[in-house]
Amino acid sequence: MLKYKLASIAMIVCLILSGCAGSRDVAQTEAYNRFAIRAAQAQLWNEAVFRWKQVIDINPKDAKAHNNLGVAYEALGKMDEAITAYQHATELKPKNKYYRLNYRRCRIHLRRSGGNDEDIPQEEEEDPSLTE
Amino acid sequence: MQIAKKIGILLVISILCGCSNAVTRVSIPVKVQSEIDITRYSNFAVLPFVSEKQIGRNEELPPEIGEEIASILRRGLARQKHFEVTSTQETARLLTGETVESDWLSDTKRLSELGDYFEVKAIIIGSFRFNSDSRPRRYYGERYSVRRQRYIMDYQDYMQKTYQLSLRVIIVDVETEQIVWDESYRRNTAEAHTIGSFVFSQVGPQANTIRELGKRAASEFTRQISPHYESEDRYLVN
Repeated sequence: MLKYKLASIAMIVCLILSGCAGSRDVAQTEAYNRFAIRAAQAQLWNEAVFRWKQVIDINPKDAKAHNNLGVAYEALGKMDEAITAYQHATELKPKNKYYRLNYRRCRIHLRRSGGNDEDIPQEEEEDPSLTE
Repeated sequence: MQIAKKIGILLVISILCGCSNAVTRVSIPVKVQSEIDITRYSNFAVLPFVSEKQIGRNEELPPEIGEEIASILRRGLARQKHFEVTSTQETARLLTGETVESDWLSDTKRLSELGDYFEVKAIIIGSFRFNSDSRPRRYYGERYSVRRQRYIMDYQDYMQKTYQLSLRVIIVDVETEQIVWDESYRRNTAEAHTIGSFVFSQVGPQANTIRELGKRAASEFTRQISPHYESEDRYLVN
């Protein structure tokens, strides 16, 4: 009886610890993301890029970090990197309208500025702030 | 039971809050290319602008105002690193004995010949129309009434004089004799006058107003034909 009790306690402790480890990463990436957004709002785009890269190092499947990194690259005029980052974000979360909107606007801008991006979606651009 | 219900509602709200994506809108600078081929049209000659003939509408203006608008445009273009512009003195020297008339605007062959003479890739020419419109207006506000010891509704009549400048700018390709740009730019400004100041404004000089409106219109044209930055919104996800 005591054996079962000890085993179940050990299991619970293991579960809690593994959960904590995961949540520590999440908390850290959230903190980096918040900091990077504040840096971006202050037009400190290089600092923001550094932070979002850190987030991606911790969690390469963080779609919002890829999206935000794309915005930062675009602000810095690094269009190829921006396109790649937006692509990652939309691949990871294809249904997110903000990622799609940023990606579409970037491609439209690239085409207008003489880039060779041909297959821009023709759908009407919507302002997410009006729909949500 | 009641407490459990409250906790449940709180839990649902917190889950919903956690699921939603907060978004921060930021403005980023995006480079906008010139609307003309700046590799081809790199040097210009700007001819004096001509006043459009319009019976009874155009204000009485000094004849040199067309040349002043052209000078404003030359200065604006010369500030752009992509363009070279024939100077005002050089233009005046090369145009000695010639008067730019409104029929020149459509005579691309003549303009092309002139462009060869100026040794430029394109000629900028145009016309302007300046007029004013005065209307009585009423401004409603509040004033303190000493007799009634409180604020009361009051109004004041005044004359609003609106000046409008319409500037047409044409770019002619010297080599092909084609018009590559033909746009009109409208700018206006308004002044509030009492009866006394309105009378003075009717007889006073209007060159400063037209110069100011000319500057604004010319800067819009310059912005369109030269690469520049504009801000565009993007969304950062929190």
